[in-house]
Amino acid sequence: MIKNVFKSQRDNENTLIQHLVEGDSAAFEHVVAEYHNLMLSVARAIVGDSIADEVVQEAWISAIKALPKFEARSSLKTWLVQIVSNGAKSRIRRENRYTSLDIGWEAVPSDKFDPTGHRINDVLPWDIATPEAMLANTQLQKTIEQAFRSLPAMQRATITMIDMEGYKIDEVCNILALSSSNARVLLHRARVAVHNAIELYQDK
Amino acid sequence: MLQCKDVTKETSDYIEGGLPLSKRIALFLHLAICRCCRNYLQQIRKTIETVSTLHPQEMDVTDHQALARKLHALNQKAKSDGH
Repeated sequence: MIKNVFKSQRDNENTLIQHLVEGDSAAFEHVVAEYHNLMLSVARAIVGDSIADEVVQEAWISAIKALPKFEARSSLKTWLVQIVSNGAKSRIRRENRYTSLDIGWEAVPSDKFDPTGHRINDVLPWDIATPEAMLANTQLQKTIEQAFRSLPAMQRATITMIDMEGYKIDEVCNILALSSSNARVLLHRARVAVHNAIELYQDK
Repeated sequence: MLQCKDVTKETSDYIEGGLPLSKRIALFLHLAICRCCRNYLQQIRKTIETVSTLHPQEMDVTDHQALARKLHALNQKAKSDGH
């Protein structure tokens, strides 16, 4: 019910921000429901699981305090993500963060290719249902969620921001303090992991 | 000559337009003659579409309502301190 209050006003962030500044409790519930998960994803990617919750809580508090000065030069989402990113980066030593780019990673196992590197078996196109049918398929949803949650935090954040939230690669690099090549590698690995899970689901 | 195995590593960069021109052309030419790789590319595109539609979420045990109440209270306090 709370969500619906603001859903029709999604394009009108000024109204939402005004409700927040005025202290409308439903507006607070709406923004937490809408953005907390994304902020958590960014924090986990940068600082890891152990202090991510704390970093997000601190980011929320900073944001609420700064809210009257919010000038809407960016969207509320962009602003919140930037606050959590800055907070997280100030808590971490960057050199510990690149261990997930292991050498020897394969999108498709080597035994699927002949010695010349060409496919041994045929690959068929997928006939996946419409978005509506996907949303109605609880087993597929479960499969995707499990595959997503099994990913390392940095891959989860990358695929979330690019494929679900519509961020550009260079924006993600800035927020997660990644090089462009690392961001691309992480994005591809995340997609491939989800792809492989869907493939297994379809083979069942 | 590009191999199918190479294509599986470059698919996202190809989709995102992040490949240098020479690699992009090589991949394009490979796709023109290789049905398996065309289908793999289609599968990755479908994966993106599926993820975008189903929007899986981070595991999150936060009590959102309690957090919203806390932030609301903070906002009220800041307002009353300001007056």
